[in-house]
Order: sequence, then C-alpha cells, then structure tokens
Amino acid sequence: MTLPQDMPSRRLKLRAGLFALGTLLVAALGAYLLFGRGQVAIQTDLLAMLPTTEQNPMAEAAVQRLAHANGDRMVLLVENADDDRAKAAARELGKALAQHKVFDSVMAELPPFDLKQMVAPYLAHRFWLLTDADRAALAAPGHDPAQALARRLNAPFLDGVGTSLQDDPFGWLQHWLDQQPWSRSPLLPEDDLLVAHRGDKTYVLVTAALAGSSYDDSVQQRALAALAGAEQSIRHDYPGTHLSRTGAVFYAAAARAGAEHDVHMVGWISSIGIALLLIGMFRSPGPLLLAFLSTAVGVIAATTVSLLVFGQIYLLTLVFGAALLGEAVDYSIQYLTARANAGANWHASTGLRQVRPALLLALATSLLGYALLGLVPFPALRQMSVFAMSGMLAACLSVFGLLPALLQRPARPLSARPVRWALALQRTVNRFGRGARGAGVALLLLLLALPGWWQLGHNDDVHLLIAQPAGLLAQEAQIRDITGLGNGSQFYLVQGANTEQTLQREEALDRRLQSMVDHQQLQGWIGLAGMVPSQQRQQVDHALLAPLMSHPERVRALLAGAGFRANAIDAWLAAWPGTPLTLDAWLKTPLATPFRYLWMGCSAQGCGTIVLPQGTDDDATLQRAADGLPGVSLVDKPASVSQLFGRYRRYASVWLLAAIVLIVPVFGWRYGWRRMPRVMTPPVLGIALTLATLGYLHQPLTLFHWMALMLVLGVGANYAVFLHEGEPHAAHRPGAMYASVLLSAITALLSFGLLSLSSMPALRDFGLTLLLGIGFTALLVPASRAGTMDAAP
Amino acid sequence: MRRLIAPLFLSCLLLCVASVAAQTTAPQATAPDDALLQHVLAELGQHQAVRADFVQTRANPALTQPQVSRGQLLFVLNHGMLWQTQSPYAETLALTGRHAARIDAQGHAHPMRDARGMDRISQMLQSMLAGKLDEVLRQFNVVASGTTANWTLRFTPKQERMARVLGSITLSGDAFLEGIRIAMHDGGSTDIRFAHTRDAGPLSALEQRALGLP
Repeated sequence: MTLPQDMPSRRLKLRAGLFALGTLLVAALGAYLLFGRGQVAIQTDLLAMLPTTEQNPMAEAAVQRLAHANGDRMVLLVENADDDRAKAAARELGKALAQHKVFDSVMAELPPFDLKQMVAPYLAHRFWLLTDADRAALAAPGHDPAQALARRLNAPFLDGVGTSLQDDPFGWLQHWLDQQPWSRSPLLPEDDLLVAHRGDKTYVLVTAALAGSSYDDSVQQRALAALAGAEQSIRHDYPGTHLSRTGAVFYAAAARAGAEHDVHMVGWISSIGIALLLIGMFRSPGPLLLAFLSTAVGVIAATTVSLLVFGQIYLLTLVFGAALLGEAVDYSIQYLTARANAGANWHASTGLRQVRPALLLALATSLLGYALLGLVPFPALRQMSVFAMSGMLAACLSVFGLLPALLQRPARPLSARPVRWALALQRTVNRFGRGARGAGVALLLLLLALPGWWQLGHNDDVHLLIAQPAGLLAQEAQIRDITGLGNGSQFYLVQGANTEQTLQREEALDRRLQSMVDHQQLQGWIGLAGMVPSQQRQQVDHALLAPLMSHPERVRALLAGAGFRANAIDAWLAAWPGTPLTLDAWLKTPLATPFRYLWMGCSAQGCGTIVLPQGTDDDATLQRAADGLPGVSLVDKPASVSQLFGRYRRYASVWLLAAIVLIVPVFGWRYGWRRMPRVMTPPVLGIALTLATLGYLHQPLTLFHWMALMLVLGVGANYAVFLHEGEPHAAHRPGAMYASVLLSAITALLSFGLLSLSSMPALRDFGLTLLLGIGFTALLVPASRAGTMDAAP
Repeated sequence: MRRLIAPLFLSCLLLCVASVAAQTTAPQATAPDDALLQHVLAELGQHQAVRADFVQTRANPALTQPQVSRGQLLFVLNHGMLWQTQSPYAETLALTGRHAARIDAQGHAHPMRDARGMDRISQMLQSMLAGKLDEVLRQFNVVASGTTANWTLRFTPKQERMARVLGSITLSGDAFLEGIRIAMHDGGSTDIRFAHTRDAGPLSALEQRALGLP
C-alpha cells in the first residue's frame, strides 16, 4: 500500500508523537501562565484595553492614577424614606461587611474627632490665606477695617463657629476654611453617619475598601457575595431600603460576567453546530474529534503565546478567541475532505501533499489579514491579532504534524445529499458568472449596492469597546448627584516647571472656572491651589494685610474700640506675620490625605496637578476654560479614544485596499494574471455587498466593521484558494470541493456569526460584518472557477 | 465611576463640623410637649410673611462688652428671610436656605460663599415653621414649656460632637416669635429680640427680587 515516495507510517507516527509532546508542553506552560501565578491572568479592567491616547506622558499617568487611586473600594448609598431605618440599615450594612476579610476597612460610622484639630494647623498661616471676596474687599479703595470687624461681630445668629473671635477677629481664616472642599460637601455627619436628605428620602453613605484589587477574580467574587448577603439582610430587616452602589469592582464583575456569557454562548453553540455539521458531512465521529483536536491545539497555542507576549488576556480576546474556533477548523476540514474524496486510494502523506499548497496559501492570507489588525495601536486589537495568528498557525501545523498519523485509513466519501446541493448551487452561480455575463452580473450587483453605500454613516464612540451596564451607570449617576462628587472622566492637567509655577497656573485656571461657576455653567471643582495657594498669591494676600497689621497701635485701637479684651488683642498681634503654607508641608498633614492623589509630583520634566471639574461634562465648555492658558490641558480619555477610533476607521479603509493589493501578486503568481481578477472577485465583491447591506441596515460604520472586513478578505480569499487548489483533485466528485468550502463557511458563520449576539458592541459589529461578508463570499466563490469547470466536464 | 472618591467623604466626615449648627444629630427624638409645640408651630406657621424690628446682642469671651446691632427682619414662609441691619452699619442679607447673599441698594444679590453657618440656622427656622419638624428633630431635642400665650422652645443638639460647640437655641414668644437665644459652650451667646412684629403685607419689588420670588 505504501508508495515509494510516501513517508513510512512510522515516521508519520514519530512526527505526531513529537507534535503531541510539544502541544502538551505548550499547554502546561499556558496553564502555568494562566493559573500558576497567584491570580488568574485574565484582565477585567476595561481601561487597560484602551490605547495610549495622550501625547503627554503625564496626562496618561494621570488617567491611570485617577482610574486606580480609588478604584479598589465600594461606594454604597443606603436609601430609605424612613430616616431611622435608613440609618439603622447603614449601620447594619457596615457591621455585616466589616466581618468579611475581603474588606480592608469599612466606613459607616464616623470615627471621633475634635473640631479644634481642623483649625489648629492653619493658625500659623492665617495671615497668608484669603478668600477671593476678602482679597477683593481688602484691595478695594476705601476699605474700612472697622466696618469689616463690625460685620463679623454682628453677623446674624452665629459668630465664629469654626475659628474663635480671638484667633480670627475679622473672620479671614473662617471664610477661607468655609471654602475648602470638606466644608462644601452635601453630605453631613448626622448620628455619626454621613447623611444627605433629598425630598423625603434619607441617604447614608457607606464605603468599603477592598483588601486587594477590584480586578482580582477572587476578591471580586468574595466582595460581591459579602455585599449580596448583607444587602439581603438589611432589606429584610428594614423594609423599603434601597442600596445603590458604584466602584470599579462592580464594573469589572459585570464585564467579566458579560464576557463569560459570550464565551459560553459562542463557544457552546458553535461547537455543537460544528459537531453536527461535521458528523453529517463525514458520516462518522472520528473526523469530528480530529477537527476539534486541531482546533484545541490552536486555542492552546494562541492562549500561551498571548500570555507570553502580554502577560495577561483581555476579556475581548477571550470572546474573540471563542469565535476563532470556526476559522481554525477550516484546515482540518480541507484535509478531511481530501481524505473523503480520495476514497479507497487514500494515503495520508500523499493527501497531505495534495492539500499543502491550499493550506499554506490560505494560512498566508489569514496571517496577512491578522497582521494588519495588529498594526492598530490598541492593546486589545494587538492581542487579538497575536492570538489569531498563533492560533491559526498552530491549527494549520497540527494538520501537517498530527492529523496524518491519525488518519491513515481511508474514509467513506462525503455525505451525498449536501454534495448534490452544493453542486446545484455551484452550477447556478457558474451559469451567471460565466464570461461577459459574469461581468454584467457583477456590475448589476454593484449598482444595487450603490444606494446602500450612499447611506453609510459612522460612529466612533468609545463605548463600542467599553459597554457599561446601564443599571450600574444609573446608580453611579445617582450617587454622584447626591454626594456631589466627581463628574464623568474629564479633568484638567496643570503642569509647570516647579511647584510654584504649577500652582500659579492652576490659579489662572481657577479664575476661569470660578467665572463659569458664577454663570451657572459649572457646579464647582476640586484642585490643590484652592487648598494651598501659590507662594505668589500668599505674598499678595499677606501684603494686603500688611498696611493694617504693621501698625499694631492702630489694630489695638480698632479691636479695643470693638470691645476686644487686651490679652486677646495681644495674642492676635503676636501671631503676625506667621508663615506661608507650603505644598510639601500641607501634603504631609492628615487633612491632605483625601486629596494627595491630585498632586502628580515633580520630575525632570516638571510638576503636575489634577483639577477635577464638577457639574458638567460638556467638552466644549470645559475646553474653553483651558484655552490659551499655558501648561493647562483638558484631558478627556473617552473623547481621545473616540478620536483615535475615528482616525483609524478612516485609515482602515485604506488598509483594506492595501491588503487587497498585497494579495493580488500572490494570486497572480499562483493562478496567472489573466485568471487573477476572477479569483479576486468573490472576496472583493463580498466586501462591497457587505458594506451596502450595512448601509441599508443603517448601521453606522465603526473601526470594528473595517477590521471584520479585513478578515472577510482573508477568509474569502481562502475559499477561492480551497476551491481552486482542491477542485482538480476532486474532479471525479463534482460539487464535493464546493461542499467543503461551504462547510468551512458555515462553521465560520456559526462561530463568528454568533458574535453578533455578543454583549460587547464592538464584537457585535464584528460578528455582523463577518456574517454578511462570509455569507456573500461563500455564495459568490464558485464564480471564480466559472470558466474552468465547463472546460473539463 | 472612578472619580467617586471616597476619601472626600472621609475628609468631609472629619471636617464638616467646622461649618455649623445643622450638623447636630439625633438617634431618637425625645418627645417634646407635643400639644404645646404643635400649637406654637401652627400659630407661627399661619403668618405667610412677617416683619419685625430686631435687636441682636452678642457676647463673646474675647469681648469685654456685648455687641449690639439693630435692624429689620422680613421673614417669608418657604422662601427665606431678609436680615436688614441698620446700625452700627447698613447691610441687607438674604438667607434663603439654599444660599446666602448680600443685597445691594438696587436689590441685586451678591452671593456670599462663606456664610454657611447663618444660612443653616435660617434654614432650620424655615423648616420648623413650614411644618417640617422632623428635619429639625433629627438635629435637636426640643423641650416646650410655658403656655400658649407665653411659650419657650428649647433646642439642644443631640449629638456630642455638636454639643461641644453649641449649647442650646431657645425660641420664645406669644402669637409671634419674640426672641431667639443661642448659647455657645465657650461662654458666647447671641440674643435676638423682636419687636413690633406684624404681618408683612405686600412685599416691595426689591424684596421680592432679593428673595427670588416670582
């Protein structure tokens, strides 16, 4: 049975054994990389998938800092119409969560503190810190200190509650402290809890810091379980209680759940579908197992290589990887078809030589397509590209290395009925695709496509990539609204050569922001310069006080006239001039703790600080405040990513053209320059029709549609190659080759097509485009051999 | 989401008391003499807008003699008050509960960003007279004493944290509010006496604008 040129089956077996051993080693390495290093290396932080958008490295660092500085905690808001119930529920929630080790600290009830501690650190600097209003008043011509003193002493209802009269007779420090962020919070301590009242509802804040990262799978699960348990019991114990939540951990968990759902759905449905198809076609379970074996080799290799290159796997890759099954299975399908077509004449190594050109050519076009995908500078797309390339390569190699040893005996021919259907379809398409009539039909199709193209729009929203559950977003918005904190994801980055210049530049920005607040365009902002003014400003403020303070006898007369005791006057005069407040000193105080992350620090490139606007997310409004200010830039990560999406979407159309141009010489070399256009037509026309259909469906084009079109080109070219390479060997079985191409197409549709049901908009677009593109191409592909087939009946 | 920085809460938790009276708190309201309290509040709440002359006397440990100021008060239920000091200086403040503003001669409001304290007290009076007693009871224990013709309501902060600063707020009166006395723990006190209290009648255009009335 063995032909002289054939490899002896012993050698095939040896090769297969080595290949299997290699696969096992790769699998072991992959398993170690995935599970063996503490936490599972699956990245649920969606932000990590986003590309670097900022020219300015500090801006990118600031984005990361803001995302993570406070990401590892839950922010919870307990709501009840009954005040006592809301508070009791919050206390119980705090106690319940505190029992779990997954939380580092839980804050429901407030720790004790002394009012004096809030004022004392500022007393030394009291002659250096002024509010805008006091500064303006002191600078105004004809300022009368006696009158200012009288106003302070006779203010309705209350005098200095924050600072005492003897420490601060004119109330300058009091006014200044009143403007600090902690004095403006809508949340107030009540019954030792942080409480807000809205309408007839009471809201109580509870925060819980995680003892680990929000993106750590086990932390996520334990924290969510602890919260679910606690929530159930407070709802039971205090009817009418509602709990809103926000925090990175919830978004990460939702993303993970969505991706898992997708992986399961796409993975299982496509596996079962492919299994049924293969059993139906090959009429035996053996080929099915081998096809899956080859695919499994691909997935294992892809996972391991991705982990080696990137250290972790993005959720998007995982879902995409599940869909890749459908393409990786093509190689084994081709080999299995060759075996089925050969019938009793089958010989494993001859068969291999027969399919080799087709497989290598198909692999080359696929790798080309995915390599182009990898040129996009998105970490997520790069990883998808590496994943796909290594997976396809391994699956293809497994056909050469593993399958021949396992497929030595001949098989039954392909199931007759699908082959008949395929032949009928092939003949129909051929009839329309022949000669000049083919050109006419192509032209007609293009005319039909024209109105569809006309209707194409586009969309570059970053939320294509990051789909956050509406429910979580609504809860976050509510918490933001009630607690008065944070806006979306925009912030200002202020940079300067040194601390002083940075603070001065922030003060310039603050002046603009204040005028926006005065015009009700903004609620407020949080920035360090409001808490630690620049030395320049402090000097100015100090100088404004000097005319009065440098004449102690005048001050003495003034205060004595208002009834101040002599010792109070002496003590106050003795405190002049005091010292200015410095940023370094302030940052070390406990008071600064909540705001320390705003300071980006200094490096050789200079210093930076973050300013958070509150109460608007209108980009144009916020941008206006930064316009023309040196060192001030508005950083808006989502907007930047959207812009980048847009830019690459425009490039993508050019890339697609480039990919087509790259394939042309390959096909020209293999099939001759006269036949080349006919071979190229099905994938190219498939792409054209897909675009038209998307237009008719009013689907705005995104970067992901274009990425999918590149795959359509790769897969479509494969089909043309399979048909061209395979048909001469299967001339005795008309329709069998096209049936195998259709089988490949349907498996691809089953896997990629299912992506159109994904929870991620990006993958949905991807899936829909592939569904259409592969469908059209598979239908058109017989036209690529329209002439040849009739010539050799 | 990430911007929802809990440290801010922490800071506010530590520091809020620096602002004022409303921060007092209450686990369980000690039941006041309900009948008298309800009667007094109902009586006071009948007047939609009230004018009165006031004299405010303030004592402080740093002062050898009390400060005395005089002026006129316009109190409009649900909208706020105009506090018009005439001596020792002339100034009009609008306290609406949402914000405090200095009113110039043309009736234009200039927001005061540093008047949270007095605005809180005015807000407390507002909610009490508007029948939202529970808001006040969250903050204070209330003891009512006297008769309907001569009553006293004494508010003491419920929570130790506030009680360290504020001793008590005492309201007294007959058909109208006659006096407010605010006693601080450092020995300071503010005593406000109202005289010539009467229903306000129609408000001037300037007054309406100052209080943000339509």
